[in-house]
Amino acid sequence: MIEQQILDTINVGIIVLDADFIVRQWNRWMAQYSGIEPEAIRGQSLFDHYPHLDNVKFRRNCKAVLRFGNFCFFSQKLHGHLFSFRPSSTLRGEMEFMQQNCTVGPLYSDDREIRHLFISVEDVTEAVLYQNRLVEMNRRDALTGLFNRRYLNQRLVEEFERARRYRRPLSLIMTDIDHFKRINDTYGHQFGDQVIRAVAATLTAGLRKVDGAARYGGEEFCCYLPETDGDGAVGVAERLRQRVAQLGLVHESVAVPVTMSFGVAVAQAAMGDHESLLKAADDALYQAKHNGRNQVCRFSPNPQTVDG
Amino acid sequence: MSEPGYLFTEEEADILQEVMNIAFGKASAELAEVIDITVILSVPEIRLFRGEKLHCYLIDQMRFAERLSLVEQGFIGRFRGSALLGFPQGAEECILRLMGEEELGEDVAEGPSSLGCEALLEVGNILIGACIGKLSELLKDYVTYTPPRLLVEDYHALVDGGLLARADDVGITMKTMFSFEEAESVTGYLFLLTDESSLSWLKQALNDYLDSFG
Amino acid sequence: MIRKLLIVDDSPIARKITRKCLPDGRDFDIREAGNGQEGVDLYGQERPDCTFLDLTMPVMDGFEALARIMQQDPDALVIVCTADVQEKVLQRVANLGAFRVIKKPPSKENITRALELAEARQQGGADA
Repeated sequence: MIEQQILDTINVGIIVLDADFIVRQWNRWMAQYSGIEPEAIRGQSLFDHYPHLDNVKFRRNCKAVLRFGNFCFFSQKLHGHLFSFRPSSTLRGEMEFMQQNCTVGPLYSDDREIRHLFISVEDVTEAVLYQNRLVEMNRRDALTGLFNRRYLNQRLVEEFERARRYRRPLSLIMTDIDHFKRINDTYGHQFGDQVIRAVAATLTAGLRKVDGAARYGGEEFCCYLPETDGDGAVGVAERLRQRVAQLGLVHESVAVPVTMSFGVAVAQAAMGDHESLLKAADDALYQAKHNGRNQVCRFSPNPQTVDG
Repeated sequence: MSEPGYLFTEEEADILQEVMNIAFGKASAELAEVIDITVILSVPEIRLFRGEKLHCYLIDQMRFAERLSLVEQGFIGRFRGSALLGFPQGAEECILRLMGEEELGEDVAEGPSSLGCEALLEVGNILIGACIGKLSELLKDYVTYTPPRLLVEDYHALVDGGLLARADDVGITMKTMFSFEEAESVTGYLFLLTDESSLSWLKQALNDYLDSFG
Repeated sequence: MIRKLLIVDDSPIARKITRKCLPDGRDFDIREAGNGQEGVDLYGQERPDCTFLDLTMPVMDGFEALARIMQQDPDALVIVCTADVQEKVLQRVANLGAFRVIKKPPSKENITRALELAEARQQGGADA
């Protein structure tokens, strides 16, 4: 029969249930991804095989469909997936479960009564992965892979709020490469890029997973450290300073010394918002430059240099 | 076509009003059984508009709250159009409380802030489905639906963003106020907007409806 | 014998539909009212044998009209017609003294049956 062929060739999962949630139809797509053959599930309750679906919300939505004939949409965005299937082979490495958009809708009998409902299951894993990738790209600096400035600001607003709400310490490090213009002019922009990448990698290696690092400007970087007080942040900045100084970068057999200046600031109760924290770290950075570069400077209303 | 008024005879307009009253009355009654929340739907107000005037009407109607959550959903049958359900902001908290938070599926994609959105979409979807479902049942039509969208905006963004613009020539609006008995602060509006293509079918369906009695 | 009817509903179509659903071959004397207040007034003037009453009406709703009619005439036979048949509504109109409730939209079957039951009650027969 043609209808049966459509059900079995269509690239969408189709389940038909009656009003008691007994499976009446289970098409080939469902069989393929669930590992359950139609003969093994027809005539049985859907919940026998998928007990997690037996909950108030699912039942409520199905009841509405049976009563009103409306459609219920279980979108990937809000639900992830209804059925725990493995993604198709090509995508298996990137996503643990197949991402699904599911729709539940009415099926009318000849007398216009609704006695059955259908569930359609659509595989949207690829679209989701693509979307995730786009989102990531939008947040990151292409050259270094660090956050871009816009995204860092967004995250900093959240971190600042959280630190304020729970009264936890939050520190910020502003740092930039000393004499970068000179390096670019002397060795060329390609080498300049290499330096930036090397420095960015050093920063990432020296920070924790909870910290955030961004390429804030051409040669300027900004890192936020939650749950970290001033002393801790200064310690981190000092370690980073040393590691950068020891990078030992070489251009056509010529050793190129690279150093960075660091400004450190801690979020204070008196600071109205994250902008104040940024400014404080920036002022400290300026002070570090002013005091001779290749050093860490901590913000205080009268900034002092930390012996490094 | 000058005045939309003449598109319906007085009797047809009365039939439409009565059909809507019945549909919404039934929807109210059955909603209580399905979602366990008592929804009170006011007697629907039906109007006919052309183009720009429809836009102006909607803008005016949506002024009931500074910040709104709008659930928009398309319905497609012989009778087709879109439904707009407007909740004042904050309604989602009440609804979550009324329904209890449930998580479906083994992997919830996002964090807690989306639970409120989810609740709005779910209740909105069911409310719209109940009203249109009963209406199409009375008029003997079959309706399919597009996925509902949630728009959360402050009033001005809604107007400026052209989200209430309707390009259709003639539109029928059916407006009802809904409130939840157990949460009096949640009051919103449901608009059903149909376009010109539905009109001739609707006229016939209304006459058929009246003829079906006796 | 039920001859005089009062139909109270703000929708002229609903009143027309109720008339259409009355059993054939009978001669009824029908009065109509468009809101609760009119309905109560007409009841007093006309003393119908049986009344069909809508619930959602302007000026005075069906609940109040029902209460007042029952006050005027404790033996009044009032059939409530409503689309909203939730348990709490049914209970409320029963408490107010309604004889029967008919779900909207009505049909010839249920209107005819309701009238038969009303006649049985009127003639003092056992309450069906």
